[in-house]
Amino acid sequence: MSDRGEAVLNIAGLEKSFGANPILRGVDLDVYSGDVVSIIGASGSGKTTLLRCVDLLEEFEGGEIRLDGDPLGYRVSPDGRRTRLSGRQLARQRSRIGMVFQSYNLFPHLTALSNVMLGLTKVQGKPASEARTIAEHWLDRIGLAERRDHHPSALSGGQQQRVAIARALAMDPRLLLLDEVTSALDPELVQEVLVTIRGLAEAGTTMMIVTHEMRFARQVSTRTVFMDQGVVVAEGPPEEVFGNPATERLKTFLANVSH
Amino acid sequence: MERFLEVLDSASGPLWHGFLLTVGISGAAVVLGTILGLVIGLMLTYGGRIAALPFRGFVDIVRGTPVLVLILASYYMPAGLGISPGPIEAGVLALTIFCASHIGETLRGALNAIPAGQTDAARAIGLTFPQMLAYVLVPQALRQIAPNFVNTAVEIVKASSLLSAIGVGELLLTTQEVIGRTFMTMEFYALVGALYLVINLTISAGGGWVERRFQNQ
Repeated sequence: MSDRGEAVLNIAGLEKSFGANPILRGVDLDVYSGDVVSIIGASGSGKTTLLRCVDLLEEFEGGEIRLDGDPLGYRVSPDGRRTRLSGRQLARQRSRIGMVFQSYNLFPHLTALSNVMLGLTKVQGKPASEARTIAEHWLDRIGLAERRDHHPSALSGGQQQRVAIARALAMDPRLLLLDEVTSALDPELVQEVLVTIRGLAEAGTTMMIVTHEMRFARQVSTRTVFMDQGVVVAEGPPEEVFGNPATERLKTFLANVSH
Repeated sequence: MERFLEVLDSASGPLWHGFLLTVGISGAAVVLGTILGLVIGLMLTYGGRIAALPFRGFVDIVRGTPVLVLILASYYMPAGLGISPGPIEAGVLALTIFCASHIGETLRGALNAIPAGQTDAARAIGLTFPQMLAYVLVPQALRQIAPNFVNTAVEIVKASSLLSAIGVGELLLTTQEVIGRTFMTMEFYALVGALYLVINLTISAGGGWVERRFQNQ
């Protein structure tokens, strides 16, 4: 169950649309310390948009997101008017949350080590020597210490994705967001990334994982959330969500993905 | 041949001076034009529609104007404003404007071609917009435009010969003066052509070296 830690993230009534097209229609979700929340659902159900809203990469029109109790992204005046925070304030809030993307998005002009160090030196203001020690620790932890001086173009997709995970974790985030991180990988490279994530879960990293790997979601998560058409339709321990689906929509979805 | 060497010996001082002036003016225009081009490229890409408008106009006008017209305009037009630049200042100004519009436009293209995922990743680790430009986007764009940058520098060196029209004693004008005294047309036009080639081959070689370094990364 999810009452084993303090609340890290509270999402309440989150609404987001692209133009006239509503993507999130009132999402409620709480994430507790040490939780590994897997989010499943069909394409277009709003999973990725939800993560992007949490990391403040998208603006949202309604509801609120709190990290450790602090509202993210907006300042609400007493008369209820919402104003987006300044770029500097948004950047500061983003640095407390880590995000890993489907397409890795490593910086191609920097080595693996420099990719991991960039946020440490420029965002957290750490001296280069300290940043290097931290970055080397994380590259070692994901098993790529000896490839630290390689540029992303010299790394396989799986290795690039592991460096991206190290880059996010080196910032010591409260919460790690993983957005379909194995979807762009060749099948034989998926496993190494899943092993890395499983290691993080066992170490108690708080994570939200959007994934199409149903078996992995079931094994690794403490809680599973099923989204459909912009709302959370079902939520609970994975064995319950997968083993005993409570709604028709979830049953249909699971039947379609497991064929 | 003997006479050519004799003349060359006596004219080597002015020719060397003209050569240095060509290199100096071109170098100054490339450096200043690159700085200004960086500003233009960033404004065109991120300035928003209104703020980008004057820069768009500047680039389109300059790119649609012959370099010789830019040079004559830089020399004669400021007089209307009560400023009278010397020919060298006017020449550097004209070539800087020419360089900046080219660099600005190529940089805009390169910045636009960077995948959106780079911006996402930069923001996700908490970089502010200026930091993202400085550490993520501009370094990648500059690597992209390196080949184009070499072309622009070569164009500037060639265009600097047009400064003879406003009396800048650069390589071409100096050579023409030597020809005017000696009537050795063939020899000295061949020489001046070779000298421009030397400058431009040096630039290309330098650019190739930089590109190879980028590629190894």
